[in-house]
Amino acid sequence: MAAEADADAAATGQISTPRWAEPDGEPILEASGLHYAYLDRYPALTDVSFTIQRGQRVALLGANGCGKSTLLKILDGLIFASQGSYSAFGQPVTEDTMEDVQMSEGFRSRIGFVFQNSDAQVFSPTVREEIAFGPLQLGISREDTASRVEDITRMLGITDLLDRAPYQLSGGQKKKVAIATVLVMGPEVLLFDEPTAALDPRTQYWLMDLIEQLGNAGKTIVHATHDLDALYRIADRCLIFSEDHRIVAEGTPEQILADRQLLLQVNLIHEHSTLPTPPQPPLEPLHRGKR
Amino acid sequence: MIGSPASVASPGSHPPSVPQWLLQQDVALCPCGCIGKRKKGSYLAKTIQGGAKLLQQVMFGEDVAAARGVLQRIDPRVKLMSLIGLLVVAGLSHSMITLAVMYAATLGLAAASALPIAFFIKRVWLFVPIFTGIVVLPATLSVVTPGDIVVTLWHWHGTPEGITQQGLLAAGRLVARVAVSISLVVLLTLTTPWIRLLAALRSLGVPRIFILIIGMAYRYLFLLLTSVTDMYQARQARTPGTPRHDRRARAFLGASVGTLLGKANQLSEEVHQAMTARGYRGDAKSLEQPRFHPADAYYLGSVVIFAAVMMIGDHLLGR
Repeated sequence: MAAEADADAAATGQISTPRWAEPDGEPILEASGLHYAYLDRYPALTDVSFTIQRGQRVALLGANGCGKSTLLKILDGLIFASQGSYSAFGQPVTEDTMEDVQMSEGFRSRIGFVFQNSDAQVFSPTVREEIAFGPLQLGISREDTASRVEDITRMLGITDLLDRAPYQLSGGQKKKVAIATVLVMGPEVLLFDEPTAALDPRTQYWLMDLIEQLGNAGKTIVHATHDLDALYRIADRCLIFSEDHRIVAEGTPEQILADRQLLLQVNLIHEHSTLPTPPQPPLEPLHRGKR
Repeated sequence: MIGSPASVASPGSHPPSVPQWLLQQDVALCPCGCIGKRKKGSYLAKTIQGGAKLLQQVMFGEDVAAARGVLQRIDPRVKLMSLIGLLVVAGLSHSMITLAVMYAATLGLAAASALPIAFFIKRVWLFVPIFTGIVVLPATLSVVTPGDIVVTLWHWHGTPEGITQQGLLAAGRLVARVAVSISLVVLLTLTTPWIRLLAALRSLGVPRIFILIIGMAYRYLFLLLTSVTDMYQARQARTPGTPRHDRRARAFLGASVGTLLGKANQLSEEVHQAMTARGYRGDAKSLEQPRFHPADAYYLGSVVIFAAVMMIGDHLLGR
């Protein structure tokens, strides 16, 4: 019910009170001692533990190849850690539990994942079929799905793309369609892998606005990035990965961006980089009402 | 709170040292000008261009499937059942007249479904030699199909051997059957969007795993074709002069196939994960509700009558 209310709020542009602002938020994703290695040889995650509360906007920060994308796939139940435990919404997420149809459907409808490679995510013959894919798989009726597709494409401003083939779209359009395919399912938790990578500046700002709005509407958002410029807008909390695949620090964007030495050590900035500054409140116009 | 950074790797921020030759501003090769020898493109280039053409054809095919023709209005399940029935009739027909009438009917349906006739014929006859060529040629010879010699090719102990009339008839019948069958399949695939065809196959009881495999194969095809084109163009951009058809070209082809397999594997995993992430469990579901309209009943009735007439006609015409 809460998820539906959130989806409605996001779709209509009504912003509710952010739940992350509430103290002692309910834990929604919990990971403990996660290890993962590709081909049992190339480590991607080493002893990763954290808890994400409902309504939080969490940025996973780290250099290329530090394990951010792998962690997002584990959080989405697409791959499973070789050691450690992960539970979502109070239920353990394992290969075994995900074979349960009820568990799998409930989990998939509550967590949405926007992949970095939009080509992998956009595969149906038309954009309309693509966006309808998820709700139909989850057993939502054709009428409700069609209505959701209309709503979400109107919200994202891509109604004119509905009858086009995905391979005819530009990179930015594909990203918007990929986001629509996930939002249309009305998930409580949104996972974004490098959301602003390879997008032009206008689309980047559009996406940041959207993430900010979804966060304000109460969605739990986890995104992997090494783009520090957007942090103040789209994250309340940051988890910092070292290049040896461990979480070495966590804190608010202000705390993290103030620690230049840490950012240098984890290869998130160069010694000549300029760090973004916190957003300033708009200036009051001088001599208002006077000439 | 900020934790302490434990055992983090060194940033490695030393500037790269650029070799001297890269900083020299020499003219790399000969000045521009069209004074050299010209060569036609290699088999590799033609294959790649063929792949790009296939992409264009499929894009065109999607447009055709969305056109408002006769077959586009028919329920995919009805079209699929009709196809199976007509394929059986074509397979059982022996008279060339019956097969010719069936082929003419497919041309008529193609025209009524807004398919360009020239394109339709070309698409069908492109495949006929592939499916029949190797099988049919020996069947025309007297050693396989004895009969009246039409063209003498050699003598065996004084007896003329060569192409027989009976052999030619058998070969012609086989070619005609294949042409009709391929025409029917092409009609179905060109007038039905892919996802609806998969849904129709599933609703007619085709196993879920089979639908999953062909659905994925179709999706990967486009992304892999793009990869192949990119790889070839990247090589072309670094190949001055005309590409040679030598050992190095073959080595490149082998390496490309290997790279492509690796990419295909990675991509297949990622696409499958993207589908699973949205609740995919092996069933192809379409937004469009398949409904049985009166037009479907008329079409099905017409196909049944046509098939019956063809069978009776074939029987009357004899073998």
